[in-house]
Amino acid sequence: MTAVQRVMRRARRLRPEGLPWRAPTWPASLERAAPQRHLGVDYDTEWTRRYPARLARAIILDNVTRPLAHIVASPEVRGEEMLALVEAPAIYVANHASHVDTGLLLSVLPPHVRHKTVVAAAADHFFDRRWKAHVWSLVLAAIPIERHRVNRKSAEDTAALLRQGWNLIIYPEGGRSHDGWFQAMRGGAAYLATRTGRPVVPVHIEGTYRIWPRGGTRPRRSPTRITLGSPIVAAEGEDARRLEARIDAVLATMADEARTDWWTARRHAAAGETPSPQGPAASPWRRAWALGPDPHGADEDDETRWALAED
Amino acid sequence: MSPRPGFVLEVDRSTPSTLFWHGEGYRLEKLPVGSRVLYAPEPVDALSDPVSAIRRALQEPLGDAEPLRSQLRPGMALTIAFDDVSLPLPPMRAPDVRQLVIEQVLEMAAEAGVDDVVLIAALALHRRMTDAELRHALGGRVFDAFAPHGLLWQHDAEDPDQLVHLGLTDQGEDVEINKRAAASDLLVYVNINLVAMDGGHKSVATGLASYKSLRHHHNAHTMAHSRSFMDQHRSELHSSNWRMGRLIAASGVKVFQIETNLNTDTFPEQFRFLQRREWEWTARDRAGFLASSKALQATPERVARAIFHSIRAPHRMSSVQAGEVEAVHARTTENVYAQQLLEVEGQSDILTMGLPYICPYNVNSIMNPILVACLGLGYFFNMYRGEPLVRAGGVVIMSHPTPWAFHPGHHPSYIDFFEQVLAETTDPAEIGKYEESFATDPWYVHLYRTGNAYHGVHPFYMWYWCAHALEHVGAVIIVGGDRAAVRRLGFKPASSMADALEMASDVVGRDPSITHLHSPPLLMADVR
Amino acid sequence: MKGLVFERNLPRFAASRVVSAFGGSGRGVAVGPLRLTDVEPPELPGPQWHRVRPLLAGICGSDLSTLDGRSSRYFEDVVSFPFVPGHEVVGTLDDTDARVVIEPVLGCVARGVVPPCAACAEGRTGGCERVAFGHLAPGLQIGFCTDTGGGWSAAGLVAHDAQVHPVPDEFSDDDAVMVEPTACAVHAVVGARVDPAHTVAVLGAGTLGLCTVAAMEHLAQPGQLLVGARYAHQRRLAEELGADVVVDPGQLVRAVRRSSRSLEASRTLTSGADVVIDCVGSDESLAQALSMVRPRGRVVLVGMPGRVTVDLASLWHREVAMAGAYAYGTEELNGSSRRTFDVALEVVAAKGLGRLVSARYPIDRFEEALAHAGAAGRRGAVKVVFDLRARDRHRGTRPSTKGPVP
Repeated sequence: MTAVQRVMRRARRLRPEGLPWRAPTWPASLERAAPQRHLGVDYDTEWTRRYPARLARAIILDNVTRPLAHIVASPEVRGEEMLALVEAPAIYVANHASHVDTGLLLSVLPPHVRHKTVVAAAADHFFDRRWKAHVWSLVLAAIPIERHRVNRKSAEDTAALLRQGWNLIIYPEGGRSHDGWFQAMRGGAAYLATRTGRPVVPVHIEGTYRIWPRGGTRPRRSPTRITLGSPIVAAEGEDARRLEARIDAVLATMADEARTDWWTARRHAAAGETPSPQGPAASPWRRAWALGPDPHGADEDDETRWALAED
Repeated sequence: MSPRPGFVLEVDRSTPSTLFWHGEGYRLEKLPVGSRVLYAPEPVDALSDPVSAIRRALQEPLGDAEPLRSQLRPGMALTIAFDDVSLPLPPMRAPDVRQLVIEQVLEMAAEAGVDDVVLIAALALHRRMTDAELRHALGGRVFDAFAPHGLLWQHDAEDPDQLVHLGLTDQGEDVEINKRAAASDLLVYVNINLVAMDGGHKSVATGLASYKSLRHHHNAHTMAHSRSFMDQHRSELHSSNWRMGRLIAASGVKVFQIETNLNTDTFPEQFRFLQRREWEWTARDRAGFLASSKALQATPERVARAIFHSIRAPHRMSSVQAGEVEAVHARTTENVYAQQLLEVEGQSDILTMGLPYICPYNVNSIMNPILVACLGLGYFFNMYRGEPLVRAGGVVIMSHPTPWAFHPGHHPSYIDFFEQVLAETTDPAEIGKYEESFATDPWYVHLYRTGNAYHGVHPFYMWYWCAHALEHVGAVIIVGGDRAAVRRLGFKPASSMADALEMASDVVGRDPSITHLHSPPLLMADVR
Repeated sequence: MKGLVFERNLPRFAASRVVSAFGGSGRGVAVGPLRLTDVEPPELPGPQWHRVRPLLAGICGSDLSTLDGRSSRYFEDVVSFPFVPGHEVVGTLDDTDARVVIEPVLGCVARGVVPPCAACAEGRTGGCERVAFGHLAPGLQIGFCTDTGGGWSAAGLVAHDAQVHPVPDEFSDDDAVMVEPTACAVHAVVGARVDPAHTVAVLGAGTLGLCTVAAMEHLAQPGQLLVGARYAHQRRLAEELGADVVVDPGQLVRAVRRSSRSLEASRTLTSGADVVIDCVGSDESLAQALSMVRPRGRVVLVGMPGRVTVDLASLWHREVAMAGAYAYGTEELNGSSRRTFDVALEVVAAKGLGRLVSARYPIDRFEEALAHAGAAGRRGAVKVVFDLRARDRHRGTRPSTKGPVP
């Protein structure tokens, strides 16, 4: 018997079997209900909006997330002056290409917004395990929403939060881009805007697909640009569908602006010629090709001559 | 200043020592008075605007071919095949020539709306390339657009479902190539031409072929009758590939060949003393030589190897031509000769050469003894037109550490070939009886198809490459090599150049004439 | 009369172990429990016993292991101290002057155990259950028993009728001293159940390895015989004795792989040799043997192993059988029962195994002899023996039946 095994055996003798040393077992003759697991949309995030959690989150956001975002993504922000015109709380809608989008967007928003914002996160991805639910709701103020089905509860809860004064970040695509282009957008943001009457701020995040795309193994540093647009307010009696169409058009124009320039994008919008942000209807290689060369040229030219060759 | 042509130096008492490659290192040796040293022509100028040159070549093809853009239409099946990691040597600085050419081809394909495009690395029986090597050759944009969707293939010569047999040439040679390439509406081949053997019909007929096809010209008989295999007019290897290439064209496979010439600017600034004539070395060059050769002697083998294999060469495209295979290749060959050819009067008794750390078959890998023999007696020996540089029965002296070391992942069949086949016989004509068992061994096939190993039969090809030299010369001596390894190859080990010359005079007589092949850069001798 | 005696002396045992670990096998003799001293000829235990005067006495790997202190503690109960080592003996009978070889195993018959145990009743004396009982002191064999004496002494030894085999006249003394190790090899080969379609690999080309090659070629003629031999003289001998492929031990797995056209997974061949005979008995050789045997194949351990640590996962998963092969007795060959020693005599004659004797030493140069035996491979030798023949009798009178004159 090895030394390790002898030590283990001795350790076991210190804590004998049975009550009170170990947790009790349940008698076979008694019925026991299945354990209640509050996960997914049932997870209660109330505790993360109380003062101690808010303090902890503020400390993490300002001292960890922000510096990290600036190092990894070097964001260039456009249009933050527009936020002065926005009446809090507001709904921020953005395109979604990478997990770094949320941290990055929170980092560039002004402090009074940043510390009073919740983020709509997919219940099946971020709230499926207890530890994940705890971590993301604390660090990012994530709230679970059902993205594959319409769920009254999550919609009601979110509307309630908006009325309480919390800003909301939501991604209409429902998930990260598969190939760098937008996916079809859903109407959740528009619905909330018409229900609560809050303004919608469109945001375009450019460059995070290069940092850590869906399916990527590790993040790569790359510069990004974040454009904040003018707030969109639902007109009197406007229904959710019309508002959704308006929001989609604005995001498409902002995407066009990121690839060309503001003036060209305006002219396209005026002529109704804004190219679809979902990319050309073609084979996957042509869609990837149409994304264009890396504007920051961060490809192979920085190979150092003395780097050891890979096996 | 225009590049100077090559010339032949006759060593006299004022001539300084000559630089010899010695694997992962170099030495200065004093050659006896009266020896000839062959200096290559200096590198020709590179193209100042390669992208426009490529576009022009694609729009103005040579021979009986239409401009590329007009051959592309929606709904067609397009295949782009490209040379694998064995070219260029050493690997180029980014952007690689293949990246520049393929990006232009894909721009045209995107414009034309071609959806069905596949890229194939034309490996023949070489090893599969790693992702990093593919990314370096093709560039990040192309790699990221094709690899994640499974549209970047590596030719698998052992998958019967991926091969198609096109028939027999009039000499009874099987022509069996990659099925996707053969069945496409258009096959574009992107080639890099480093030496006169590359390119032409060999690109498709060898690069995309199977063992069944290759054994018709990769054998001892063909190689012994290719004198040299760099000279199209006297190479059996060339004629066989041409027959196969013409059959491929006749079977309806449309090939649009794009060939590029590279200049011979082989080494970056720190190593420029390697390419300079010794009497023109400045104080900086001498300091560079001393510092690096001393440092390298002190570094462990693995580290020295890693350092050398990370060198990226500054050679650049000097010319690009596209269109019909034979017309394109004629122009390419002219350019190769213009860059590399050197006139030499007569043969000599002894040929000396220093062997570098790299050959086409050990990029990012270990140079094992079989590859040392192939580089010296295969490639360098055959860089001639007319007659070999050394007379029949003469001696070849090579300088390389020749370690008894093999890369088990890249060269597994080489280990068994060295331990078991060469222990029995070193005659290229005799080893043939084991070829079949190595070629069909299931383990080697498995490693070739799923790992990064050269095909089981490949060490035999390396030995066949030496067939002409082994038949021609009287003895081969390796200076500074591992004694057991050198003896296993059937050669003689010598510890210094002086000892080697002593041993050589036992074979060729007292006072022999000596020719030294000074490389880098590459040169081809036109021996009268 | 002078002889070498092995006494029970724990400090010296330990000292020998340390010295041999650093200096090499056989080097610890000077500090070990083996002494050159005056020895009395042993008493005849009974009427059927004979006195034997040794001519040549071999040094075996098991002797070296015992002297180095490396042998397993398993043997403590079946050895009695003090004893005279030496169990590979060719000598002359005191009463008739006939030349004989000794079959050293002390079975029930020799020990006077009636009725004999099951093994001895069948003739499998090597498997005797009574080696620690009977009217003799405990002892596996002559050469490990205090009552019988042993080969390494001029005083001689005593042997029972059943342990004495006459040597044919055409045998030289060298040939005769090789009979006992050949008998071990024969027993191992028969037990391995090799048939002509099989591929067999032999690890180790010392005395036992080479005798195994010889026995294999003579009795079983397998399809392919591959041998791993570290030294050039061993390789040459293995080829002469009929091995098909002889390579350095590091290359043996690759040679077996090519021969069986096998694939590799988990550092083990997926196919492999049908039978692997391990004549080394170390951690590395056992691991190597398991990696090159085919699923449901046999690994046979010949020659005494020590304490080894081996990963048995591949043995379990591939249903490999691992068996020991000890000593000799009676063999079933081609339907008939024959004493192993008779078969061994045949093999020695057919293959000329006398040429494996590389060096002969007198008893008083025992330190050199044992150091030479311990480093035999490195020093170009195979079998080292003690020469106890009288000075006036010149060496090598009778030439070997085959092979070059030494």
